[in-house]
Amino acid sequence: MTTFLQLMVNGLGKGAVFALLALGFVVIYKATEVVNFAHGSLVLFGGYLVLVTKDHIGWAAAAIIGILSAGLLALAVERLLLARSRHADPFSLALLTIGVDVIITEEIIRRLGVSVPFIGDAWDAKPIQLGGITLFRTHLVALLVATVLITAFFLASRYTNWGIAMRAQAENREAAALVGIRSSRVTASAWLLAGLLAGIAVLFIATQDFSGAGLSRGTHSIALAAFPAAILGGLDSTVGAIVGGVAVGLVDALSTYYVSFAFAKSAVFLVMLVVLVVRPAGLFGTRETTRV
Amino acid sequence: MKRLLAMTVALVLPLSLAACGTKGGAETNTGSADGVQTGVGVTDSQITLGVMADLSGPFKSLSTAITHGNELWVKDLNASGGVCGRQVKLEIVDHGYKAETAKTLYPQLEPKVLGFVQLTGSPIMAALGKDIETDKVTTTPASWSSELLGNPYVMIVGTTYDVEMIDGLSYLQKQGLLKDGDAVGHIYVDGEYGANGLRGSKYYAEQHNLKLSEVKITSTDTDLTNVVTGLKGKGVKAILLTTTPKQTGSAAAASKALGLNVPILGNNPSFDPALLQSPAASALNKLYIVASSVPYSADIPKAKEIAQKYQAAGYKEPPNAGVPYGYAVAEVWGSVLRKACDNKDLTRDGIHKAMQQTTSADTEGLVAALNFGSPGAPATRQVYVAQPDASVPGGTKYVQQLFEADQAKTYKAPHEQ
Repeated sequence: MTTFLQLMVNGLGKGAVFALLALGFVVIYKATEVVNFAHGSLVLFGGYLVLVTKDHIGWAAAAIIGILSAGLLALAVERLLLARSRHADPFSLALLTIGVDVIITEEIIRRLGVSVPFIGDAWDAKPIQLGGITLFRTHLVALLVATVLITAFFLASRYTNWGIAMRAQAENREAAALVGIRSSRVTASAWLLAGLLAGIAVLFIATQDFSGAGLSRGTHSIALAAFPAAILGGLDSTVGAIVGGVAVGLVDALSTYYVSFAFAKSAVFLVMLVVLVVRPAGLFGTRETTRV
Repeated sequence: MKRLLAMTVALVLPLSLAACGTKGGAETNTGSADGVQTGVGVTDSQITLGVMADLSGPFKSLSTAITHGNELWVKDLNASGGVCGRQVKLEIVDHGYKAETAKTLYPQLEPKVLGFVQLTGSPIMAALGKDIETDKVTTTPASWSSELLGNPYVMIVGTTYDVEMIDGLSYLQKQGLLKDGDAVGHIYVDGEYGANGLRGSKYYAEQHNLKLSEVKITSTDTDLTNVVTGLKGKGVKAILLTTTPKQTGSAAAASKALGLNVPILGNNPSFDPALLQSPAASALNKLYIVASSVPYSADIPKAKEIAQKYQAAGYKEPPNAGVPYGYAVAEVWGSVLRKACDNKDLTRDGIHKAMQQTTSADTEGLVAALNFGSPGAPATRQVYVAQPDASVPGGTKYVQQLFEADQAKTYKAPHEQ
């Protein structure tokens, strides 16, 4: 029983970070129907800036710089590249993000050289014991931060003008434009938000507790591993991102012990496939209806 | 959504390109002015040796250190006049622990070198083993799998992973940290490295009724928290690691965090002193590393001399056990080259013959005494046991001098005749 509880705790902690990452995919997809494959490079970029600044200005200030930089980079990618191809097919734009991803990722990996630095200085590897269960501090902070941010996002999308504009655009872009919603502003803010989320997520990913590795190509892979979480939950659903994220964390933890570590890697994709067969739009995604 | 799914599948499934090619290993033997037969990689004034290192992948710290060790030896040798009237030169390439990169680099490097003084990585050896045999290039892998000894051109300096595990388990038991019948978990990376370590632990487990839980991982996995949670659930009394250093860090950190705190036994490539600067540092006090070469800060004259030379050379990377090992390997190559010179044959065939005649290579204690005279058998079965120690350069200090467990004496390596 202790082992089961410990695995649940491990899975939930990781799931919180996956939810944050998945939310990044969802926010952009909702606003623009573009899948942002550059999310992994935004994560790396934020982490890299934390790394180069933290020894000079302290961890907390560096973390803020990292988060803001990831957000600004996302905004720049949208404004300078995607916004110029306004009438392009969302799939072409998704391919464009792959190009952006490769360029940014490779440059950061090149700059990192042989080092694989950890960046979660504030809480890494200082566990808290509760009964027979170990609570990893990185997981706890991630869970807390994810809860606050996701709740804030919920409230904002429901009660603020920005949220309503975004939902309107997600529903029907043309109609939204006709009632005076400025599509470019909604789109840009969605990218900015996704970038900020990526910058926050990396503070948890490049830690001993979460990934066992510092900032590296692995960090990028983990960010992309949140993609099944977003698909699983439904690419246009905020609730889906949370459920998907937690599901990925739990499936990974439980299948490692109850089946095998090797199986755990495919288990997430297996669950994703099963969900897609039953519900092609994901658990909470909006089903597309087309009149024929 | 469908298009999206198709795109996902296309992105998630990696593309793999199979490189193929065949090549003959014929070399033209020519006589030189001093009456020594020469071939590929040898001129009247120079001998070129190849280094295929992992300077950017999971074993970059170890491999970079080995490369520096190789370089220090070359510098010493050339300063003392070289070997056989020739200066030695190293051709160094980085494959980043990727077999496909190594496959591309090999055909460019092979025609320039007499042999490989370093070839890091089991997957790389697996990819190039056939080529090495066809081209008759004597190769020292920085990969210590006894499976490699089936290839007659492989010269493993030190013992092999299986024997390291056997010796290491015997050490734990002698220290009273393990007893017959205990449950033990072995985390190993897939491929030859892991499989060979596991071969050793299985052999020892059979002899001592240990209940062995095997967990296979891949070299790119880094978070072993769930795996260690599982091993704790099974009540293991020790964790064995045939893993990358990052994985060692994760296993040790998880073991401590989860309150498991059992001894952890690692094969020689599983430790990197960089771990002592990581958040896992405080969890490394239960780690024991088994290797047949000395730690960097070993208290023997030759190791001290190399440490001084390393400092003087101004390398920017922090040193580790790879430095004396790299030096020792090159020194063994020195013995082989001298023997080949005495035989007046510096061709690849000549090197192979000279290797087999090397039955007592002495590295002044850097590595246990080596005997390459028994094909298929490890050249030694002796190991040191070391523990991490942040206070010494190189990051490890030995807790057990060279020894050989009884079980290692009786163990038969896969290609042993």
